[in-house]
Order: sequence, then C-alpha cells, then structure tokens
Amino acid sequence: MNCRDLETQLTPYLDGELIDEARLDFEAHLASCDTCPKHVEIERHNLSVIRAAAKAQSPAAPPAFKAKLFEHIRADDERRRRVRFGQMAAMAAGVTLAVTAGHQLYRGHQRSLYEQDAAMRHARQFPLEIEQSPQAIERWFGGKLDYRVRVPGFPNARATGGRLLQVRDKAAAYIRYDTDRAAPRQMGLFVYGDDHDVDVGAEPAMASSHGYNVVSWREGDVVYQLVTDLDEQDIRELVPANAGAESAPPQPTLNVRPASLQQ
Amino acid sequence: MFGLSRSNQSRAQFEALLSPWLDPLYASALRLTRNERNAEDLVQDTVMRAWRFFDKFQKGTNFRAWIFKILTNTFINSYRRNTRERSLQDESERQSVEASFFSADLTEQTQNPEDFLLQRVMSEDVLKAIDSLSIDFRMVVILADLQEFSYKEIAEILDVPVGTVMSRLFRGRKQLQKLLIAREEEVPNAAATIDLNAFRERKKLA
Repeated sequence: MNCRDLETQLTPYLDGELIDEARLDFEAHLASCDTCPKHVEIERHNLSVIRAAAKAQSPAAPPAFKAKLFEHIRADDERRRRVRFGQMAAMAAGVTLAVTAGHQLYRGHQRSLYEQDAAMRHARQFPLEIEQSPQAIERWFGGKLDYRVRVPGFPNARATGGRLLQVRDKAAAYIRYDTDRAAPRQMGLFVYGDDHDVDVGAEPAMASSHGYNVVSWREGDVVYQLVTDLDEQDIRELVPANAGAESAPPQPTLNVRPASLQQ
Repeated sequence: MFGLSRSNQSRAQFEALLSPWLDPLYASALRLTRNERNAEDLVQDTVMRAWRFFDKFQKGTNFRAWIFKILTNTFINSYRRNTRERSLQDESERQSVEASFFSADLTEQTQNPEDFLLQRVMSEDVLKAIDSLSIDFRMVVILADLQEFSYKEIAEILDVPVGTVMSRLFRGRKQLQKLLIAREEEVPNAAATIDLNAFRERKKLA
C-alpha cells in the first residue's frame, strides 16, 4: 500500500468499515509512513468535530408535534376499523360468527363459572396431545368423547393441536388455534356435551374472564367456548375472506348468522 | 381476518418501534428540508406511510433502517422535485469510475494543505455547511455522521452500492471540511456570524 492507496481507504477506515486484511494493510502502511499518520490524525479529528457539532445541534421533535403524530395514527387506525367493519356488514351473507355483546352477556351465574374455568385452563397452556392437521385432530377425538367433535374453521387461524381437558364437570375437547399473522395469537376452543345445564344459546355471546374474552355458543347438545385474548373488535372481525378455504369440512358449526339476518 | 394487523396490538407495536426514532427522524428531516415546518411535514408523511405499510415490515428486522428508507424515499419523491438543486447524478456521477472521485480530490488535497478544525467550531456552522451540500452528499453525511448508520445500511436505505456510499461520503466530508476551514480563516472569531450562503456565492464567483 502506498499513500495514495491509503487515501482511498481512509473514509472506510475512519468509519470502522475497513476489516481484516484491508485494515491490516492500512495500519502497516501507517506504521511505516512519515506523512500519513499526521494526515489520518487530522482527518480523524475533523470528522469527530463535525460529528459532535452536528449532534449537539440536533433538536428533538417538538412534543406537540409528536402528540399530533400519534393522534393521526390513532385516528387512521380507527377509521380503518370502521371501514373494515362496514365491509364486513356488506358481506352480511358471509358473516360467520356474530357476537352479540350487551345485555345478553351476563345472564346466568352458571355460565360464567364455565367461562371462568375455560379461561383458566386455556391460560395454563397444557401440553397438547396431538399436533396435526384439523382433519387429523378431528379423527383423533373420534370415540374419545360421547359426541362427535368437529374442528371449526376460522378465517386466518389454523387449528394446530388438541387434547382432552375438562371444563368444570364436563369432559371437553380442547382445540388450539394459531392466528397466522405476523404476531401470532393463540386461541383455545373448548367443546363439550351439555344437556342445557349451561345457559348458552345458539347465538354466540361474549364475556370476559381472567383477562380473556370467552365466546360461547351452542349447537344442539354441544357447547363451544372460544377463549382468546383478541379484543371484542377483533372477534367481530372474524370474517371469512374465502370461507372454508383451509379446512373444508368443519364449517357448519360457525355458520351462525347474526340476529339481524335471522328472520 | 382477525384484523390483527390493525388491532390495538399492532398499533402499540408500531408506536413502540417508532418512538425511539422520532427525534432522529426529525433531526434528519430538518437537515434534509432545512426548515422546521417542512421537517415536520416530512416526518409526518414518513410516519403515516410507515404505518400504512407496517404489515409489510418484517418483524425482527431493522426498523430504524426501514423507516429511514421511507424517510429518504419520501423526501426524494416529494421534495426534491420542488427544489432546484442539481443532482449529483447530473453533476459528477458521469465519472462512473469511483477511483476518479478519489484522484480528483487527492489532487485538490495536495494543493490545499489541510488543517485541524478548531475544536470550538460552531455547531451552527457545521449545520450550515451540511445544509449547503448537494442532496446526494447531504443524505450520506446525515445517515453516516448524524445517525451513524453503517455503509451497508446506508446502501440499503438509498438503494445504491456500498462503493457509491463510500465515495459520496468521501467527497461530502471533503466539502464540509473545506467550507469549515475557509470559514475559520475568514472569521477567526467564531462567535461572529456571517451568511454562509453569501460566502458560498463568493466562492462560486471566484
């Protein structure tokens, strides 16, 4: 390396971007040269002065501006939610899971006990006994309970596994779902036979328990309780983009139409 | 559709990733646009664009580089056409061989023996000098010296080869030093203020 070569490497050298042999060559020349060390020293000094001065003078963003920005983000977020909710209503015929919140929610102490128990058991994340496709999970449950367990399909969520559990005094199938989003969330679905001990109707109803939302509905003598940390808004947005695309067979259980469409 | 991409969760994630970089974004925008009002507009455009494309951001990758890329793209797209600055591309990237960058400056350097910048060089002068750089030089100087991005990150942010980052940085810094040294010589008392633009005009005429 000569002085000219050194000059071409000086910028990456000062920035710490010169590595391995290139750096060794550079430093070897520096050690043996009369003029370059002074030059490098000046350059290093000047660079640090410029950097320090530029930084010292960098103002923070005004707090009011930051507040305004976050407010814009929030407003945009809410606007999009409304738009999506509107789109969902427009697809009314395809609405699978309608959640009726409100006065219907807290009917009956009995039901809330089951909800609590389901939420707690979901939270404990018991190990699964089978982790396979929804169809395989369905087969695995076959014969283990005295009713047929179907694995309902949810849009953008996959059934990933299952096991046997109880909800209070009921032997239940427990099916775990992962949402296939960038930030995956788990949901747990309990399915158990119930001869109307539990006050759950065909219309899905939502409650919250232990930090989870629990959606309960019934299909004949089988009760479904979905435990999730999705918020109410997200649960409402359980809209099938292309219904049943992933796991074709299990759809019917969730084809509950919203009250507004049932005449 | 769980709407997760736009759930509270997702917004909270975005805000958490964004918050530490708002000040650096603003400081950089200020150097790019050179005034506070435009800097705010630029940061706002950048942030809202990032928010809209947040589902395209791959979790666990470099958020800072990602949002700075949006900042520079936004700036180039919507602000550059409003300015009458000549682009480096027109000006001197005709000389496609990078070595020629260096040799050109080497010659200048031997003609103008360099000097230590005063430790007390005024921050304000440095900022003015940065502001006077052409956009391509200014962007690499901002990214490298103000934000301390690596060459590789800058190359990705600006969509140029690492070699180009290096040569722009080399030339950008050379210009900065020249401006600052000239400034020190002209006004030994750094507290006195002069109009750097006027100074540059004189330089051009000379």
